[in-house]
Amino acid sequence: MKVKLSVNDRIYHLDVDDPAMPLLWALRDLIGLTGTKYGCGIGQCGACTVHVDGAAVRSCSIPISALEDRAVTTIEGLSPDGSHPLQRAWQAHDVPQCGYCQAGQIMAAAAFLAHNPKPSPEEVTQAMSGNLCRCGTYPRIHAAIMNVVRKSSAGSHE
Amino acid sequence: MLSVQARGAQIIAAKVTHDALPHVLGDFIRIAPDGEVLFQFIKHEMGQGVSTAMAQILCEELKADWDRVKIQFPVVDLPTYENDRNGGYGTGGSCTLIYTYDVLRTAGAAARQMLQAAAAAHWSVPVEECRAENHWILHAPSGRRASYGELAPLAARLEVPSEVELQDPKSFTIIGTPRAAKLIPQIVTGQLIYGMDVRLPGMLYAVIARCPIFKGKLKRYDARRALKVKGVRHVFTTQPIAGLQFTSFLPHDIREGVVVVADSTWAAIKGREALEIEWDEGPNGRLGSADFERLAAERALHRTDPTGFIGDANAVADMARVRKTLRASYIYPHQLHSCMETLNCTAHVREDGCEIWLGSQSAGMVVEELQKLLGLPQEKITMHMLPSGGGFGRRAYTDMAVEAAFISRQAGNVPVKMLWTREDDQQCNLVHLFQHMEYQAALDEHDRLYALYEKELRTYTWAERYANPSLPRMAYDIPNLRYDFEDLIDEEIIHSSAWRGVDVHGRALSECFIDEIAAALERDPYEFRLSMLTPGRLVDLGTDAPLSADRMRNVLTLAAEKAGWGTALPEGRGRGIALVPYAQTCCCAIAEVTVREGALTVDRMTVAIDCGKVVNPSGAHQQIVGGIVWSLTALLYGGVPIRNGRVMHSNFHENRLLRMNECPPIDVHLVQTTEERPFGLGEMSAPLAVPAVLNAIYAATGKRIRRIPVTREMLAATG
Repeated sequence: MKVKLSVNDRIYHLDVDDPAMPLLWALRDLIGLTGTKYGCGIGQCGACTVHVDGAAVRSCSIPISALEDRAVTTIEGLSPDGSHPLQRAWQAHDVPQCGYCQAGQIMAAAAFLAHNPKPSPEEVTQAMSGNLCRCGTYPRIHAAIMNVVRKSSAGSHE
Repeated sequence: MLSVQARGAQIIAAKVTHDALPHVLGDFIRIAPDGEVLFQFIKHEMGQGVSTAMAQILCEELKADWDRVKIQFPVVDLPTYENDRNGGYGTGGSCTLIYTYDVLRTAGAAARQMLQAAAAAHWSVPVEECRAENHWILHAPSGRRASYGELAPLAARLEVPSEVELQDPKSFTIIGTPRAAKLIPQIVTGQLIYGMDVRLPGMLYAVIARCPIFKGKLKRYDARRALKVKGVRHVFTTQPIAGLQFTSFLPHDIREGVVVVADSTWAAIKGREALEIEWDEGPNGRLGSADFERLAAERALHRTDPTGFIGDANAVADMARVRKTLRASYIYPHQLHSCMETLNCTAHVREDGCEIWLGSQSAGMVVEELQKLLGLPQEKITMHMLPSGGGFGRRAYTDMAVEAAFISRQAGNVPVKMLWTREDDQQCNLVHLFQHMEYQAALDEHDRLYALYEKELRTYTWAERYANPSLPRMAYDIPNLRYDFEDLIDEEIIHSSAWRGVDVHGRALSECFIDEIAAALERDPYEFRLSMLTPGRLVDLGTDAPLSADRMRNVLTLAAEKAGWGTALPEGRGRGIALVPYAQTCCCAIAEVTVREGALTVDRMTVAIDCGKVVNPSGAHQQIVGGIVWSLTALLYGGVPIRNGRVMHSNFHENRLLRMNECPPIDVHLVQTTEERPFGLGEMSAPLAVPAVLNAIYAATGKRIRRIPVTREMLAATG
């Protein structure tokens, strides 16, 4: 079966045996975009979070057949050069430890802030509680997001 | 030479390591023509931050520009680095900085001196007049200067100096200052290549259906339906490698199973679902966690000869001196590592050699195992070391490499990426060792703690290393201290391994028993501990260095001050202390909790730690916070329940991990220290939260909980 997939503004024509193949494995094994990580395969950990038409989606739990005419964005496409405010905040706050879950964390946070640019600290906590981090970077993830919120509220692009 | 179709700069860099010898300055350092310092990192980066901390040490002595230092992951070079003065590839035991601190300072200084000597020769001036500063060699008398990039080709032709001049630690500007992890730019853009991300031309993907029961066997299987799944190429058994135990140091369990090799991960997973398998469950198929715990509890009552003691070994029974005795049993059950990156390995075995890609804490043992499996000499095995998404002790074992290499060969000498799904990770894995701790205390007529007896029952894999367990690492001034030990290796119903914090988890539960003694004496838990830490006392426990009561007092008093110990709390709230030495590091945590209607909330954790010299305060803070989160997960959700030989949890919805909305504020305080050297850090806070929170639950409710995970039922029963 042929599937047309738009990922990071590029069109991929994939020949797949099984239209139920989750987007995660199409990205990683067929397209070669390995920034999106496998963590649990059942939508529990958030390591595989990508954007579909701007909304955060668990790529392990959505079949590629459901993605015709929809725009997928992965961590590789979040910004052209790693300059998204969240990517910069992750650097400034020295957030990652092993880093494996962080692409999913950043994609979840980016979709959340796009829809709610001025959340309260509690709203950030709730929004981010779907993403697991075994290393325990939660306090820094929270601090980095709040820093982005404060800066955007102050009208600065720094 | 590898043929990686990779975006991974580090893999490409590894390929050219030897081509670039003219730029190698002594150990660990390559300087590219553009001046970039490429740190040849030989440990395993798994989130503990040593790649950055090690780069800081090297950069400090090299006097390089921090922003121009990069970390590279070169091909494993055992003849040069394994088991020599560089400390080898092994990464674990929180030992990396302890063993590499001097090595890296020396290496950095040697390279700096080579650059100075190269400049002196180039300008025909005395080397004493050539000063290194921030990536330049300066010659003040003539005003000339040359960059590290210009000088590197000249410097690389010089002898590596056998003696170097190290900097005065007072002048350090990089060691001791917070630095963001070097790999962050790659992490936040999805460019960092973990083992899971390796891609090779013509690579196939494999998953294994492993026997769900420890020591069970494959009875029969039918591959016909699996082979009809589109994309499935091969199905065969892993019986030839099952149960292989090549090294006695880390005997390991490779479970019997059936492997499915396919064109994609998804096809392999679908193929595995279509397998029909019958297992020979063996005796473990009738056993469960409750049987095992009952056995441990029975054994706990045996009296064996003491493993070690101070004073009178039989003091708890000395009725002439003893006024009152207390006893209690505590359990720290099996735990999963739950590395976010599940185990995986990519291997390409050919007739005449083997190439593998793996994030491993034990590169030396991996190569050794592959030599034995494949019958190849060491030089025919090329190992690419990659960072991993968490190791926590699990990646100290070699099973994934043996599995992947076997599959690559069996599938026709093709490159294969073998990965574990999360279900494999939870149901067929090595786990944290089980510990049953049995305590007795004897109080004398003056209400002094006269004798303490600790008996530990533990499952473990390091037969050699732990053949002679030491006395409890306790700095308390107790006249009679006895420790007994029995293992439960042969009785295991699941395979035990190293887990961040290893055996200190169970032994840190003595802090709960100390709390019980304080309560029996109606003493404040803080004051009671302080009264048993005699100022100036050095406690010789027969280990590498004595334990200092003063350093333990320091972390205890600092944590108490920062946590507001002694200030009033409302009904249903309480604080608890855990004071735990870990190797040379001294740690104290104070938990503040609320217990209301059978629900536990950890409101705040305060940690004070003395870990010697801190190389990267930002990384140190992360490790301490991470260890607390680690132990809170064990406290609230841990354990590996087994019924009929099978692990009952299958994925994160059943084996939960702490989430952001459950993570309390964690305040970290590093004790100001005059130590010249770093002690360990990666595991040190991991045993703290369990005893601290259990003691806080007692303070809040008046009842003791003596095992984890803490459930609503236990809390309701305490109400």
